[in-house]
Amino acid sequence: MTADKGEIARYLGYGSAVPDPRVAERILFCLNALEAVTPRYVSRNMPLDGLAFHSADLERHLFGCRHVFLFAATLGAQADTLLRRWAAADMSLAVVGQACAAAVLEDYCDQCMERLTETLPEGQFLRPRYSPGYGDFSLDFQRPLLDLLDAGRRLGLSLTEGGMLVPAKSVTAVIGITADGSACRLHKCARCSKTDCPFRKE
Amino acid sequence: MDILTAMRQTRIFFDGAMGTMLQDAGLPAGRLPDLWCLEQPEQVKAVHAAYLRAGSRILKTNTFGANGYKLGPCGVTPGQVAAAAVDIARRAIAESGADAYIALDTGPTGKLLKPYGDLEFEDAVSLFAELMEAGAGAGADCVLIETMSDTYELKAAVLAAKEHTRLPVFATLILDETGRLLTGGDIPSAVALLEGLGVDALGFNCGMGPAQMASLAQELLEYASTPVIVSPNAGLPRTEAGVTVFDVSPEAFAGEMAKLASGVHLLGGCCGTTPAHIASMIKACRDIPLPAVTEKKRLLISSYGGAVVFDGDPVIIGERINPTGKKRLQQALREEDMDFILREGLSQQDAGAQVLDVNVGLPGLDEKALLCKTVQALQSVTALPLQLDTSDPHAMEAALRLYNGKPLLNSVTGKQESLDALLPLVKKYGGGLICLTLDEDGIPETAEGRVAIAGRIAQAAEAHGIPRRELLMDALTLPVSAGGDNGSVTLEALRRIKAELGLKTVLGVSNVSFGLPRRETVNTSFFTLALNAGLDGAIINPMSEAMMGAYSAFLAVTGRDLQCARYLSRYGGEPAVQTAPPPSELTLKQAIVRGLREQAAALAKQAAGQGDVMAVIQAALVPALDAVGSGFEQGKVFLPQLLMSAEAAKAAFDALKDYLPPQESVRGPDIILATVKGDIHDIGKNIVKVLLENYRFHVIDLGKDVPPEVIVRQAVDRDVKLVGLSALMTTTAPYMAETIRQLAAAKPDCRVMVGGAVLTQEYADAIGAHCYSRDAMGAVHYAQTLFRR
Repeated sequence: MTADKGEIARYLGYGSAVPDPRVAERILFCLNALEAVTPRYVSRNMPLDGLAFHSADLERHLFGCRHVFLFAATLGAQADTLLRRWAAADMSLAVVGQACAAAVLEDYCDQCMERLTETLPEGQFLRPRYSPGYGDFSLDFQRPLLDLLDAGRRLGLSLTEGGMLVPAKSVTAVIGITADGSACRLHKCARCSKTDCPFRKE
Repeated sequence: MDILTAMRQTRIFFDGAMGTMLQDAGLPAGRLPDLWCLEQPEQVKAVHAAYLRAGSRILKTNTFGANGYKLGPCGVTPGQVAAAAVDIARRAIAESGADAYIALDTGPTGKLLKPYGDLEFEDAVSLFAELMEAGAGAGADCVLIETMSDTYELKAAVLAAKEHTRLPVFATLILDETGRLLTGGDIPSAVALLEGLGVDALGFNCGMGPAQMASLAQELLEYASTPVIVSPNAGLPRTEAGVTVFDVSPEAFAGEMAKLASGVHLLGGCCGTTPAHIASMIKACRDIPLPAVTEKKRLLISSYGGAVVFDGDPVIIGERINPTGKKRLQQALREEDMDFILREGLSQQDAGAQVLDVNVGLPGLDEKALLCKTVQALQSVTALPLQLDTSDPHAMEAALRLYNGKPLLNSVTGKQESLDALLPLVKKYGGGLICLTLDEDGIPETAEGRVAIAGRIAQAAEAHGIPRRELLMDALTLPVSAGGDNGSVTLEALRRIKAELGLKTVLGVSNVSFGLPRRETVNTSFFTLALNAGLDGAIINPMSEAMMGAYSAFLAVTGRDLQCARYLSRYGGEPAVQTAPPPSELTLKQAIVRGLREQAAALAKQAAGQGDVMAVIQAALVPALDAVGSGFEQGKVFLPQLLMSAEAAKAAFDALKDYLPPQESVRGPDIILATVKGDIHDIGKNIVKVLLENYRFHVIDLGKDVPPEVIVRQAVDRDVKLVGLSALMTTTAPYMAETIRQLAAAKPDCRVMVGGAVLTQEYADAIGAHCYSRDAMGAVHYAQTLFRR
């Protein structure tokens, strides 16, 4: 598993501090247990003109793109079970496990994007992922996104009445496809408009 | 001729895809195909007609998504769609002149059930029931539950079909390439569940092409005692310019289906298959003789995540979740302290238990409600199958219904009353049944008598349609201190039940040593003898190293443990490296500060044995927690460490509890914690809970997704002065406001503290919260101030 341990520490509130050996041991324990989950993703390449996102931020983000990938990925129900199990057994394991699962999911999404990039013709690039809930891109778009991807059947993804994605460790996103590679290397925090986020990296 | 008779006499074939055919006919992507039953009935009928011409004799109605949840926003009911859909299929059949059957097609609800999502089990049953009642009323010939990826939802659907129709029930699953369901279940676990529920045929559909499905079908045939269905896609879906395409041609599809047809009763197609695929398949397969269905001998039980097979190797059933003689567990049950019970379960799993017995019977408690709650909590954290242990048939049925899988039932006896109560439950819901060899006259003194009762119970079960493989006979262990041949009578009965009746056996082992010193010595010896006599299931304490050692050794010396691999993995390693100093070199305070749970518990016990428990709390626990808490607030200690210390303090306090004089109460004021309605992320709330408990507050944890009314009712009924609410998402924070509004009206003296990722001081002020806390220590300080402690 290639999840970024620095990111995990950051999610746990360490900032630039380094976790002590007993916490580091727990991080390894959780990452090891998470090896057993089966992450899955689904994507769909669609022309942009048929899609209405109703989001100025996303439109800016997709400037110059004619096509997008709709994308969903999940660590699946097994990850949720592990997290519940850790929460029952030991809360410190539960918070470490949450951070690890988040990092594993991010890492998996990055790998998926590499795979998607390989399917593109030469000279085409992917913009960073942009998810419902970022900026003014409404969470209401989760539903059509899942439907267009048939994500219920293919990934077992669904929404609760409160609009939450379940299984919990899941991501949906729109990924712009562009010939202009310059805007594609931004750090993921740069694509988010929540500038007062305590976890933001500049 | 009904469909069940027809499918056993001759090969009849399902049709192929509906949704992708309708899309080709102009159904817009994202539009629910079911709506075309009302909007474009002729188009739907044309698809049926094409499949009939191709030779299909079972038509799936266009009702895959026809449930209230999906149809609700479209303004039509499942009943309307089902009636129209069955009518369209019937007209297509009449016009073709073919002799064909109508399968009421039922897909997943589109919602995830608890604990993954927010759909209640019984609500899922109701969603399915609406479609099935209407479809059966309109004249469908069978119910086909298909594309199911979650055993729990599958169980809800099968129960709905059984309870709301009299139709035959077929069920097919969607698996990934590794043969697993999306929720983690495997093929044996699905067979266990579905055959337990009594479906008429089972199998796979969708997800993959016929070639990938072939090897999984082989595995299914190894376990199933029921006719099998296989309906693959025309290959794996692929997108081309935004359109989903399937690559397997009709000829290739037919070739692959012909290879697997010899073991399979019913063949058909799913996404991407067309009348051409079905016509080719029928041509290639119609002359392949139907298989014989063979009754398998194994007992399969299951959870959501896997199966346990009683097939040779004895199975360890952990007995620890049973309050008899266990004060701490009794207290946990009275307080509904699920965390304690879950830890009992998880530690048995870590020690090697393969099944967990669950007994929560205590005088004065609502056993039915408590058993259901415990079963749901356990199955949300462990994939071990459970053994439901109660003498109350109502509690048994309620838990059996909610259980996600096929459990063991503990137990039935040879008494008529007991047989009448339990056998219908096993027939309806499925379950391995533990049978005590006693009857109205008590426990027979002789092996002969116990064997006779075992035989009678087996006959009674078979008369109810329950196969003998589902039974585990308990020849009953009596104390050797009360009679010298008690042990040998049990062992003889066990041997004869296996040899003469061909039935499986189970024993609660430890009763043999009752009344003797050094009980473990007697237990291990008797256990080994019972294993050697052929015991299939052992109800023991897996935390006993001696018992688990005897088990490992038995497997090794009888050649069941190839190259002693399991024995070596248990005992072959180097002794564990001690990274922490041994308890003697640490103080209790240090152990808590460093977050060493085991050491803290051991040191607390040691200190309590020597002196005043309250003094230990004041001198060690409180200063340790204060030190870590202030370190956290200064940014020197981080959240994982804070929580490690909290867990160590909790373990220390638990150890001290046993030494407190009974009149001494250290229970602090009540505080309610809840994650608000709509919100299912409760980690923040759980962090606050463990810290408040450290500071001796008594937390009433209402869980997650809690409606405002429930919180208000609890606060009023229990006269609680502080409620803590958490919410993670902007979409659910409004429920926090609503909860506060209702609390202010119903219980003005109750304070509310709030926290969660999206909250701010401004928002907390705006919704009338009395305190906004940005972290768990803030919540502790507010509670301390409020209660002036």
